[in-house]
Amino acid sequence: MFKKIFIVVVMVVIVLSLYVNFNHNYKGLSKQLKASFMLYNPDKELSYFSLVDHNNNKFDNKNFKDKWTLLSFIYTHCPDVCPTGLMDMSILKSILIKRGASIVPNIVTITFDPIRDTPEVLKTYVTYFDKSFLGVSGNQSQINQLVQDFGAYYERVVYAKNGKSTVFKNDKPLPEWALVAGYLINHTAWIYLVGPNGQIFAGFPLPHNPLEMADDIELLTENY
Amino acid sequence: MNKMISSLVLILLSLLVITQTGATNHDIDGITIHNPWVRLAPSNAPVLGVFMEIHNNSNHDIRLLSANASGYKRLELHKTEYKNGMMKMTKQGFMPILAHDKLILKPGSWHIMMISPESASNEGEFVMVELIFDNGSSKTLRVKVKKEI
Repeated sequence: MFKKIFIVVVMVVIVLSLYVNFNHNYKGLSKQLKASFMLYNPDKELSYFSLVDHNNNKFDNKNFKDKWTLLSFIYTHCPDVCPTGLMDMSILKSILIKRGASIVPNIVTITFDPIRDTPEVLKTYVTYFDKSFLGVSGNQSQINQLVQDFGAYYERVVYAKNGKSTVFKNDKPLPEWALVAGYLINHTAWIYLVGPNGQIFAGFPLPHNPLEMADDIELLTENY
Repeated sequence: MNKMISSLVLILLSLLVITQTGATNHDIDGITIHNPWVRLAPSNAPVLGVFMEIHNNSNHDIRLLSANASGYKRLELHKTEYKNGMMKMTKQGFMPILAHDKLILKPGSWHIMMISPESASNEGEFVMVELIFDNGSSKTLRVKVKKEI
């Protein structure tokens, strides 16, 4: 009996020390980051999701496993922020390759707007910035869940002919007239680093400086 | 003689170039446009952004009221702003250019959005964009499509 209790106590101490040590290490790393924030929270796992990539293959939690991923959310009707973000990521990838970085993350972008951004649309759009980029579309509610898990947010804005705007929150379906009139999307524009355990690891807010992002990615992946 | 004629032609051509350049830089309506460009986008991009600097050399505030370009469903005046953690792109009724000031249209800020192109634009091509101002003047620009400034 005593032996059993002793084993349990030892196990708890080991797990706790690992946990404390882990948090301690990452807290140290956080201070050295130039363009990102640590977002890793072992108590908060990504929900299960199942989406479709631009080659019509299934894209789910398994696609994040055993590799590093840089993830962003975009929509192709965005003339300004989203192309800038994708351009930044293509520059970032070139920097990492030029430096001979041991890890160059996979670059994945998920649309906020699967109604208009089908896999076919995303394929042409996303690969323009880099042939290796992967666009992901799929079910709106699954995307919404993922957007929420990442702490991202979006809302659709429809303008009437008189210039008056109506905002539709992301969980509110768009009426038919809005689909016909067209809409803009207000959105957060972080780029996220997902770890090989399939969990959110760090996040890069605006403005995106590819050089500083590359420094952080090297630091984070080398100290994982 | 031949040399003289070719020199004369050269001088005349130079004068023509100088006059043309002068025309774009010192307009009588007090508005000059600098570095206009269309951002190169994927071939299926449903929208394209137009950027430039609009200088108002007059003593009066001027408003850009609208923009037109053939080959697009419509053009809208937009401003992207960072608000409450979000990038918000809002449609604008006009763009203000204050007296003796300039308005810079650039990514992440003021821009003209060209919606639903009839065909894809390639790098190095030009798009004719007409700007209409509230002082009654209008300008047609030959805007080059390029990756970045």
